Amino acid sequence: MPNLKELKNRISSVKSTRKITSAMKMVAASKLRRAQELAESSRVYADSLSFILSSLAGNTKNSADLPEILTGRENSKISLLIINSSDRGLCGGFNSNLFRNAKKWISDQQVLGKSVKIMTVGKKASSFYKKTDLDIVASFEDLNSNDRQLQVSEEIKNKIMELFENNEIDEVSILFNKFVSAISQEPTYQSLIPLSNEETSKDESEANNAIFEFEPDKNELLEYLVPRNFLTQIYRSVLESSASEHAARMTSMDNATRNAGDMIDRLTLTYNRTRQAFITKELIEIISGAEAV
Amino acid sequence: MINLKVVSPQKVIFEKEVEMAVLPGAEGDFAAMPNHSPFISSLRPGQMAIMSSNKVDESFFVSGGLVMLKEKVCEVLVDQIEQLSDVNSSNYQQSKTYQELEGNETALGTFEQVVNNPPYK
Repeated sequence: MPNLKELKNRISSVKSTRKITSAMKMVAASKLRRAQELAESSRVYADSLSFILSSLAGNTKNSADLPEILTGRENSKISLLIINSSDRGLCGGFNSNLFRNAKKWISDQQVLGKSVKIMTVGKKASSFYKKTDLDIVASFEDLNSNDRQLQVSEEIKNKIMELFENNEIDEVSILFNKFVSAISQEPTYQSLIPLSNEETSKDESEANNAIFEFEPDKNELLEYLVPRNFLTQIYRSVLESSASEHAARMTSMDNATRNAGDMIDRLTLTYNRTRQAFITKELIEIISGAEAV
Repeated sequence: MINLKVVSPQKVIFEKEVEMAVLPGAEGDFAAMPNHSPFISSLRPGQMAIMSSNKVDESFFVSGGLVMLKEKVCEVLVDQIEQLSDVNSSNYQQSKTYQELEGNETALGTFEQVVNNPPYK
C-alpha cells in the first residue's frame, strides 16, 4: 500500500510543475504574438527588395552577365547549410524534426558527390552538431535576447560572402522551421546561392513590363543589392524560426499542463482511496479488538 | 501628390501622400514627384526632405538604401533613418542611428553635417 505522505509530496510536486508549464505557455503565447508581428512587418521590405532584384535580373537578358553569387557556380562541389535552431529546449519536436530533416538533406548531397559544411544558429544546433563529424564553419547563439536578430543576420551574411569569395563554398541553403500556424511548423529549405527561382519569378511578369532606369549602372546596383538580399532572406528565416519556436513551445507546454492535470487527478484518487483504506483498517482493528475482549 | 512609403528591414516607418520628396541618390540628389519616369537608384547617406510649395515640411537623415519610383508611388528602402526634428547638434551622438553606424566614418560625417547644416531647410 502506497505511503500517504509520499503521495502527498508527489501531488504537490506535480502541482508546481503544472504551474511552471502553464506559466511557460503564457509567456510563449505573448512572445509568439510579438514574433509574428515582427515577421509580418519585415515582409514589406523583403517583398520590395525581391521585386527590385527581379526587375534588375529580368532586365539583363544574358544570364552570363549576372554575377556568380546570384547564379551560382557551375559544377559546385561544396554546399553550406545554415541550420536555424532554438537557444532553449522544452519546445517539443522543434529541434529534433529539424535535425532529422537536415540529416536526410546532407546524405542526399553526399550522394550527389558534394561535401557539406554546416553553420549553426542557436545553442541547440551547435551542441548537437559538435558531436557529429561534420565541418562546422561558424556558430551563432543567443539571438532572441536583446533583439539581436538583425545584428546576427548581418554577421551570418558577412561570413557567407567571405566564404564564397574565398572559394570555400559554392552553394548556400538555409534550413528553418517555417511558421504555418500556431500548431504547425514545417522544416523548409531556401537556397541563397544560387538565388532560388521562386523568389525572382513571383513578380517577374510585372517587373519585366515596367522599364526602369537604373542609377548607378546595373552592376553597381547589383553589388549593393545582392548582400542586402541575403541579409533580408536570412533575417526573415530567423524571424520565422523564432515565431515557430514560440508556437512549438506554446503547444508542447499546453500539452504538458494538461498531462499534469490528468496526473494530479489520478494521484488524488489514489490518495483518497488509500486514506479510506487506512481508516477502514483502523476501524476493523478496533472492532475486532473490542470483540476479542 | 505622390505616395511616399518609407520602409526599414524591420517595419514600415511611414506611408503618406506628399507633394515632393527630395532624396540623396547615389549620383546626386533628385526630387520624387508624380509621373516621374520609372527609376531605381541606390541612396548615399544624406538628407531626405519632404517638401510642399518650396518649403521643407519634414526632414530626415538616411544612412543609405534604395529607392524605387514609378507613376505615383515612391518606395524608399532605408538602412537607418532619423527624423531631424528629434535630434540637434548636442544630442545626435546619443541617437540610435548614430550608435548603429559606429565605424562607418563617411556616414557619421554626413550625419553630423546634415544635423548641423542641412542642405535643404
